[in-house]
Amino acid sequence: MLLNRDDWYETSRDLDWTLSYVQPDAAFPATWSGVEDIPADAWQAWEEPFRVSYRDYVRIQREKETGVKAVSTALARSGSYEKLDPAHVAASHLHMGTTCFVEHMAVTMQSRFCRFAPSPKWRNLGVFGMLDETRHTQLDMRFSHDLLKHDPRFDWTQKAFHTNEWGVLAVKNFFDDAMLNADCVEAALATSLTVEHGFTNIQFVALAADAMAAGDINWSNLLSSIQTDEARHAQQGFPTLAVLVEHDPERAQKAIDVAFWRSTRLFQTLTGPAMDYYTPLDQRKMSFKEFMLEWIVNHHERILEDYGLKKPWYWDQFLHSLDNGHHAMHIGTWYWRPTLFWKPNAGVSKDEREWLNEKYPTWEDNWGVLWDEIIKNVNEGHVEATLPATLPSLCNLTQLPLGSAMSRHDLAPHQLVYQGRLYQFDSGISQWCFEQDPERYAGHQNFVDRFIGGQILPPDLGGALGYMGLTPDVMGDDVYQYRWAADYAAPATAAG
Amino acid sequence: MAAFPITGRFVGDFVPHLVAVDTDDTMDVVAEKVASFTVGHRLPRPAGPAAYDVLLDGEVLDPSLTFGAVLAERQLLPLQWVDVRFREPADA
Repeated sequence: MLLNRDDWYETSRDLDWTLSYVQPDAAFPATWSGVEDIPADAWQAWEEPFRVSYRDYVRIQREKETGVKAVSTALARSGSYEKLDPAHVAASHLHMGTTCFVEHMAVTMQSRFCRFAPSPKWRNLGVFGMLDETRHTQLDMRFSHDLLKHDPRFDWTQKAFHTNEWGVLAVKNFFDDAMLNADCVEAALATSLTVEHGFTNIQFVALAADAMAAGDINWSNLLSSIQTDEARHAQQGFPTLAVLVEHDPERAQKAIDVAFWRSTRLFQTLTGPAMDYYTPLDQRKMSFKEFMLEWIVNHHERILEDYGLKKPWYWDQFLHSLDNGHHAMHIGTWYWRPTLFWKPNAGVSKDEREWLNEKYPTWEDNWGVLWDEIIKNVNEGHVEATLPATLPSLCNLTQLPLGSAMSRHDLAPHQLVYQGRLYQFDSGISQWCFEQDPERYAGHQNFVDRFIGGQILPPDLGGALGYMGLTPDVMGDDVYQYRWAADYAAPATAAG
Repeated sequence: MAAFPITGRFVGDFVPHLVAVDTDDTMDVVAEKVASFTVGHRLPRPAGPAAYDVLLDGEVLDPSLTFGAVLAERQLLPLQWVDVRFREPADA
């Protein structure tokens, strides 16, 4: 009689053996496993709920792949891409360029789980995670390759992480830290639990819905397919947190507090502008802040409570940042648009501005006044005055501009001197993150550090654009060619 | 004379900039350099001629001081945060 899966699942998944030719800590060095002082038998409690066999996994993934391919092939014939709103398309350029190679980095992280995780259950689940991330990378590449004939910006799906574009450097810096250089325990808490389960898993659902509303069925379908994998492999975070909370709750609290803030800052950069500015007004379902409060904040609070952890000390500042951080990143990225590989939508026509003021009562005073001067320059024909002439100062933790975490009224220096060098931060929270482990961050060079260090030649904005790999065919510009500003132009005086 | 990078924030703007000042620059010149990236770009120009104050750690600096003198006295490090603001009418 054929055994049912439940009859053999644990035997297969939990297969392990007692090492006799090498010491356990040589085969599983703590620098990679991250176990520190947690006793070896504590990991027996590590449990995952998915109970997927390799055979099941392959069958399900094959079905998913067939579905994505069928939709993409049908849509390629229908010419649907040409009908999309250009501001929505810009969101897909931004997403592909900043996400595809994060998926690729995640292959390495999951491979580390496969080899060094302190539990055979976790090591086996890591195999599926590794295969998932390989699939996601390939899906993004195929999607973009198909669209390359329409727009060279899709080349940045593969190219972006091989350039020094400043935003890509910021994204890469975080995932170098949270994926490539993190031990298994850190990576599971920072990436699986916080980034994937807390943020991207939900973001992909929202992004897929927005893409569907915008008529981009192909991208929506791809995102949904990826999300089903994320929902599974992100589960590696919870059992890891359970073990850590029992044996080293202080480490758990700190790791999650750092990862949550850094994830928030990335989302304010990559998701906030796309939701509140790039998505056409009639297709917006909720503001970025509403999305964060309903899906991310409630969820995070529940996890902290369930596992007996506290809200981070910076919780009130984080909530204040939800009113401001992504607006700062948006006006900053739009202003420094030649440094982007996508075309941002200003998103401040009168109708859009009314929506922003309704969703964010402080928007006008914090951001509207700055846009007013930009609008005036556009309407007076001084577009050159709306373009950058130098670099913004950057944070030594997030590598994002100083001032981009809160409002202009909150802007204040957050600086410290460490081993003779002055470090700057976009907020007291980022400074706190740095102070938890200065050696981890002190050697990193953000774009401004590279500029003043003489790595960027000639040392001017043109040299900086060249160093970033930006060429005229992809360089960012206003996606609607400033037509939105006509809303504010003074009416022509009637001839008397 | 030597170039020195500072973090220049014009009060009211949302972001400070990387600004290259010279040790021979007076505070008036430093102020002009910092203001040039904000005033007329994201904050409106004042109706009349603009006058600015330079502040270091909240203290208004003498406009005739050179940056080099301040650098030597206070042992500033590269990327020191410097504030510039419109000079208040009573002081103008």
